[in-house]
Amino acid sequence: MFIIFYYTYIEIGKHLYFSALGTNHRCFQGDSLWGQHCDCAEHDLPKDRAISRLQEELYRLQEKKQPPKSSLSTIFVITPTYARLVQKAELTRLSQTFLHVPQLHWILVEDSPRKTPLVSNFLMKSGLTYTHLNVPTAKERKLQEGDPSWLKPRGVEQRNEGLRWLREDRKTEPGDNGQQGVVYFADDDNTYSLQLFEEMRSTQRVSVWPVGLVGGMKFESPVVEGGKVVRFHTGWRPSRPFPMDMAGFAVSLRLVLANPDACFDGEAPMGFLESSLLKGLVTADELEPKADNCTKVLVWHTRTEKPKMKREEALQVQGLGSDPAVEV
Amino acid sequence: MPKRRDILAIVLIVLPWTLLITVWHQSAIAPLLAIRKACHHLVKEIFIIPERLAVHHHRLSDEGAEGRREAGGQDSKEYCASDKDIVEVVRTEYVYTRPPPWSDVLPTIHIITPTYSRPVQKAELTRIANTFLHVPNLHWILIEDSQRRTPLVTSLLRETGLNYTHLNVETPKNFKIRGDTRDPRIPRGTMQRNLALRWLRETFKNNSQPGIVYFADDDNSYSLELFEEMRSTRKVSVWPVAFVGGLRYESPKVNAAGKVYGWKAVFDPHRPFAIDMAGFAINLKLILSKPQAYFKLRGVKGGYQESSLLRELVTLNDLEPKAANCTKILVWHTRTEKPVLVNEGKKGFTDPNMEI
Repeated sequence: MFIIFYYTYIEIGKHLYFSALGTNHRCFQGDSLWGQHCDCAEHDLPKDRAISRLQEELYRLQEKKQPPKSSLSTIFVITPTYARLVQKAELTRLSQTFLHVPQLHWILVEDSPRKTPLVSNFLMKSGLTYTHLNVPTAKERKLQEGDPSWLKPRGVEQRNEGLRWLREDRKTEPGDNGQQGVVYFADDDNTYSLQLFEEMRSTQRVSVWPVGLVGGMKFESPVVEGGKVVRFHTGWRPSRPFPMDMAGFAVSLRLVLANPDACFDGEAPMGFLESSLLKGLVTADELEPKADNCTKVLVWHTRTEKPKMKREEALQVQGLGSDPAVEV
Repeated sequence: MPKRRDILAIVLIVLPWTLLITVWHQSAIAPLLAIRKACHHLVKEIFIIPERLAVHHHRLSDEGAEGRREAGGQDSKEYCASDKDIVEVVRTEYVYTRPPPWSDVLPTIHIITPTYSRPVQKAELTRIANTFLHVPNLHWILIEDSQRRTPLVTSLLRETGLNYTHLNVETPKNFKIRGDTRDPRIPRGTMQRNLALRWLRETFKNNSQPGIVYFADDDNSYSLELFEEMRSTRKVSVWPVAFVGGLRYESPKVNAAGKVYGWKAVFDPHRPFAIDMAGFAINLKLILSKPQAYFKLRGVKGGYQESSLLRELVTLNDLEPKAANCTKILVWHTRTEKPVLVNEGKKGFTDPNMEI
C-alpha cells in the first residue's frame, strides 16, 4: 500500500514539475497542464531548460569577460533641441536608443532662455547619464513660422555651447583618462542604429560614414579607396571641403580639446556648417572611414512631420482646447 | 496502536523528502541525457562561438511546426512554407543589445506591426526595434505588405535579437490606393493585421499562456511605461494617443467610477470606439474566444476601422482605462516625412546595392 502511495506521489510530483516547466517553456504549441496531453515531445522540456541554463552560464561568463566600464571610451552626444509638439516624442525614442549604448554621455542643449520642465523631468526619468544645458538662438538667426527649414542654420549656438561645456568640464578631469572620448552631434529626429556607436568609439581624429536619406538622395557617403577617403558621393555642392551631414562624422575628444577655438560658424553659407568645424581640425585624407569602408548605412536623416492641428486650433478659438496640463 | 501511528507519521514525513530527492535527480540528469541523445546540432550551435560571440538558438523546425503545419496548410500562399519558426537570437557580446531575460510571471505582449517597403522602412524598423529591446516578454509579429518576405526585413529581424514572427501578405494592388469609387479601398495594414490575428488564433488554439495583443505601427513613438500599463489588461484597455484626429491628443472620457463613458475627440466622437489603433490593447484570451472578430476589409468609413474590430469584442462598459485614468500621454502618433529624393534623378544617382 505504501508503495502505491509512493508512486502516486511521484506521478503527482512529475506533473507539478512539468507544469512548472511549461510556463517557462518558449514553445507555443502544447499545454502541459493537468491531465492534458502535451503537444511538445516531452524530452523537449528538459532540453529547453538545459539550453536556458547554458545560456545563463554564458551570460555570466560573458559579463565577467566584459571589459570594465571605464576602459570603454565615452561617447559624448551633443543634441540641440527646441520646444515643439513632437519634442517629447522625439526625445523619448532617441533616449530608448541611447539606453542601449554603454558609456554614453548625453549633452542635451535646449534652444531656450530657460531650462523647460518638460525636458528637465524627461531627462531625470530617462536613466541616462546626461548634462542639461540651454542657450537661446538670437532672434535674427531664428527660423520664423513658415520659413523653409534650410533657410537658416539651426542648432549652431546649442552645439557650440555643448562644445564649450565639454571643454570646461574636461579641465577638471586631469590625466590621460579624461581626454579619452568621442564627440558626436546627434539631432533629435534622426534614426541611429546601435552598431554606429560601436563604430565611432575607435575614432582617433575624425571618423566618417554614410548617412541615409539626406542631400536629396537615398544616401550620401565618403568614397573610400585603399582605406582612405578620396572624394565624397553627394548630389549637392560636392565642392564643399566636407560635403557631409552633421550625423556623418564623429570627432575624438582629444582633437576637440587640442583645438579650443574650433566651433561651428553660424555665418557660414548653407551646407557649409559641418565644414566650418572640420576644416580647422582635419584634412580630408586624415579622415577615418567606418561602417565597412563606408559601404553600410547605419544612420538615417529622418524628419518627423508636423502634426496637423486644425481641429485643435479651431477648438482653442472657442475656448474648448485640450487640457494644457496634459503634457504632450 | 501508538506504534502504528508512529510508523504512519514517519512514513508521511519521509515520503515527500524521497519525492523531492527523486525529482531533483531527474532534473539534474535527464536534461544532460536528452541533450546528448537528441540535439546534436543544437549543442553545436550553442557552443560554437564565432568572433562576435553571438549565440544562436533555433527552434528545431520539425518539432515545433507540427501543429502549425496543419493550421497553415490551407493557406500556404500566405504563410511561407519554410522558416515559420520563432528564431531567438541571444547576443552575448553587448550586454545592452539583447532583450531582457524571459520572465515566467509576466504575460507576453504580442505586438502586431504591419510594414511596407519604402525608403524610410529600415530606419523606422531600426528605431522601433531599439524601443522594443527594452520590453520584457515581448513577441513582435511583423507582417510585410509584399508578395514575398524581403531580405531587408528578414536580416533586420534576425540581427535585433528580439523574439519575433515574420509574416507577409500582399494587399491587392487595386485596393492599395484610392481607385475608382466602386471599389472602396481597404485601409492600409488591414489585411496584415488580420493575418496576424489569424496566426495568433492558430498558434494559441490549445494554449492558455497569458498574453496581450497590441497593434503598433512602425512610425509611432512609444514610451516604455505604456507596455507595463497594458500588461494588466483583462479584456480591452484604453489610453490617450497624441497627435490624432487633428488634436494635441484624443482620449477616452472616464467618469469618477473609473469607467469609460465617451470619447474626447472632434472627428466623429460618436463612433462606437473613437480611438486610434495605438490607443488600445486586447487580452489574448478575448481574441481566442471570439474567433470571428477581425478588422472589416471593405466598406469601412475613415476612422471606423478600430470600431470594426472592437465592437465584436467588448462594450464601452468593459473598457479598462490606463495611464492614470487616461490623463497621461504614453504614445504619440508621429509620422515621418517622406524624404525628398530629387537628386536621385531618373536613373538613380546612388548605388542601388547599398541597402538603406
